[in-house]
Amino acid sequence: MMRDAMHSLTRLVRRAAALCALAVLPVHAAPLQATDDLGTVVRLAAPPQRIVATLPSLTETVCELGACGRLVGVDRYSNWPAQVRALPQVGGGLDPNVEAIVALKPDLVLVAQSSRVVERLQGLGLTVAVLEPKTHADVQRVMRRVADLLGVAGAEADAVWRRIDAAVEAAAQSLPLERRGTRVYIEVNTGPYAAGQSSFIGETLTRLHARNIVPAELGPFPKLNPEYVVRANPALIMVGARSAAGLEQRPGWAGIEAVKTGRVCRFTAEQSDVLVRPGPRMAEAARLMAGCLARPAPSGG
Amino acid sequence: MNAPSTPALAAHGLRARLGGVPVLHGIDLALAPGGWTSIVGPNGAGKSTLLRVLAGLLPHDGQVLLQGRRLAQWPARARARTLAWLAQGGVADAAADDLSSYDVAMLGRLPHQRWLAAPSAADRAAVEEALRRTQAWDWRARPLGQLSGGERQRVLLARALAVQAEVLLMDEPLANLDPPHQADCLAMARELAAAGHTVVTVLHELHAALSADRVLVMAAGRVVHHGASGDAATHRALEDVFEGRVRVHAVDGQWVALPH
Amino acid sequence: MHAARAHWLALWLLLAAAGLLLLGAAIGSTGVERLWQMQADPTAWQIVWDIRVPRTLGAWLAGALLGLAGAVAQGLFRNPLADPYLLGSASGASLAVALALTAFGVSPGATHWVVRLGMTGAAFTGAVLAVLLTLTLARGVQQTLRLLLAGVIVGVVLGALKDLITIASADVLQAITAFMLGSTGLVGWSAGAVMAATLAVCLLAAWMLAPVLDSLALGEATAASLGLPLPAMRAALVAVLALATGAAVAQTGLIAFVGLAAPHLVRSILKTTHARLVPLSALMGGLLLMAADLLARWLIAPQELPVGVLTAVLGGSYLLWLMHRRGRGRVA
Repeated sequence: MMRDAMHSLTRLVRRAAALCALAVLPVHAAPLQATDDLGTVVRLAAPPQRIVATLPSLTETVCELGACGRLVGVDRYSNWPAQVRALPQVGGGLDPNVEAIVALKPDLVLVAQSSRVVERLQGLGLTVAVLEPKTHADVQRVMRRVADLLGVAGAEADAVWRRIDAAVEAAAQSLPLERRGTRVYIEVNTGPYAAGQSSFIGETLTRLHARNIVPAELGPFPKLNPEYVVRANPALIMVGARSAAGLEQRPGWAGIEAVKTGRVCRFTAEQSDVLVRPGPRMAEAARLMAGCLARPAPSGG
Repeated sequence: MNAPSTPALAAHGLRARLGGVPVLHGIDLALAPGGWTSIVGPNGAGKSTLLRVLAGLLPHDGQVLLQGRRLAQWPARARARTLAWLAQGGVADAAADDLSSYDVAMLGRLPHQRWLAAPSAADRAAVEEALRRTQAWDWRARPLGQLSGGERQRVLLARALAVQAEVLLMDEPLANLDPPHQADCLAMARELAAAGHTVVTVLHELHAALSADRVLVMAAGRVVHHGASGDAATHRALEDVFEGRVRVHAVDGQWVALPH
Repeated sequence: MHAARAHWLALWLLLAAAGLLLLGAAIGSTGVERLWQMQADPTAWQIVWDIRVPRTLGAWLAGALLGLAGAVAQGLFRNPLADPYLLGSASGASLAVALALTAFGVSPGATHWVVRLGMTGAAFTGAVLAVLLTLTLARGVQQTLRLLLAGVIVGVVLGALKDLITIASADVLQAITAFMLGSTGLVGWSAGAVMAATLAVCLLAAWMLAPVLDSLALGEATAASLGLPLPAMRAALVAVLALATGAAVAQTGLIAFVGLAAPHLVRSILKTTHARLVPLSALMGGLLLMAADLLARWLIAPQELPVGVLTAVLGGSYLLWLMHRRGRGRVA
């Protein structure tokens, strides 16, 4: 009889312990979390295995952190690295296809701030993180957040960032001293829309010790009076090849130093993508721009 | 008329459709030069359609002869100088509101003006005469949009008169006119006819129609009767075509048709 | 009578334009500067002659072309709401520019053609081809309503095609938006010369065809009874419309409201035949666009506002005021 009582008691204690364990466990059962750009704390029970990214820079960040294989869907503008082109496309950043995203059964969806689809996706039960890198500082921050959500160790993410940052610095150091302080005009589109100091590409230019003719007060992408460029007389012009047609023939532009010496760098569409996207390919962007800055003028200027 | 001269307007076997529906079923007529003929008939008889076909404004089967020559053989400007047409209903949309009465009347001189030439003295004289005749001369500078319905109608009439054509086709010229001006318009038609012009009018005011020289009675796209306005046969044809709902009476030296 | 008033208006419009031209030479990326001070500095003077003067003149020429086209469109369609883009020319030009932007870099041959044609050539070709398409759909110029309907259809369909193309690439989208908002920023002397030649031709043709527009106002049947060769003349008027609109759109992009507002502004001052309305609309349109362009350059210098926004604000405000004044004066 004593043995039976002991048995019951042990069973009771075991059950109680199990119950206690069950009660205690949920409090520590959210191993992954990060705060997104909207201030929401995004929690994941386990590292996500099916990720949908709707912004090219986010796609590139995920791949840079080694989780490219876990992507199941990207937006139509994501095109790097090459393997993401084979993935299903779920619309654009501004017009994502909700049905396509849901059909992929993702456990994490990365969207940009300008997307209107956040509530819809959350209402359908998906885990959504809103992240949009716009500046150099953003790239580091977003990379860290994405790493947290992917389950990548913080130290590893920091190492990736340090590698990128060092490469940018190396590109800056590679420039000969006399190229520092070059006056540069960056045109991002016909309009003409210029890239100001506060834009991502403008920040890269600043790190390369060059001077942007567009000051920070005018905003990231001001639509300039073409006369302003003539007045500022840049020594170097960087422009996308598509919008560069007829640049030298613009009225009054023949007198600009960059046009006279032929120092106009025309970037292809792929190169423009690298330059403009605030993502892990910053180093390559810096290298492209450094190459442009270091290149001697065709007419020996 | 017993004159063997070429009719001003003649039609042979005229057939016409409006929107696919046949409206005129084989019309033959000959109008001698210098006289006023009015076309009457119930609604849907095809009166306006006949007038438009005679003016060369609608496609048709059969022949229309203007002064003995087929319409198609007339050069456009010569035809426009010989035949003037006044539309029904006045200017419905507001597009002409900005034109002054003088400018509108001057448009009637287009068939006479050399291209790009300024109006000649003859043009100005013709326009002045036309505007005075319709008592619109005093407000010739006023834009059409500021005129009443009757005033607009008189300006449009002046436009048709300014062409000084030998043949004048008018579709419901009395619309919007008050009785004194209606009488003036009819008197003007009589004067023109007496001066040798051929005037053809579509009128639904039967008393006005009966003051013409000859009456063409139409029903269901066919000519039922063509005779002098004073003839008893004409009056009977008129009463028949309205199914006895009108009676022609002589009142005050004029023929009037009163509803019955 | 009207002649004197019309001549005074023309003189006033020309003088105002001359005044704004002077002002335009003084307004640039640093706001308003003193012209005589700039004369001392050769670089600044060159800026005035190479950039500001041709651009201000270009604004006047483009506005004149659009005003003329608007007057012709309103007369041809007998509709006070008609504007020069009614026959699909706007959508045609945008589609052509979108195609040119996308074709760039696709293949060496395509790139070569795009560079040779240029955006201006593409826009002009697109505008003219769209009008031809409208004419084909409407099977000729005779039926006004069918022409209008065909124009609307062509505009909508071509616009949808343009949207399809631009959404595929983000930077094409931005370039197309810049084109559609309009700008005189890249108009130089050669562009101005092309527009001036087109304006001269179109003004002459429209003035010669003005009696057609007047008689059409009395109704198509009346116009036909006056012995006018209507089909040929309407075709010529549509050609004038396409040419004027195409030339303006090619150089300055799509600027809305000038073509619609200029004839109305003239009519609010005096009522006259088309022989005077068309040239006066050209003068008024030129002044309107010039004024809007000056403001676009001056308000947030060195940045520029889209000039199409300012034409709408300027022209629209005046028309609103007119409506308000007319509404108050009307007997209840």
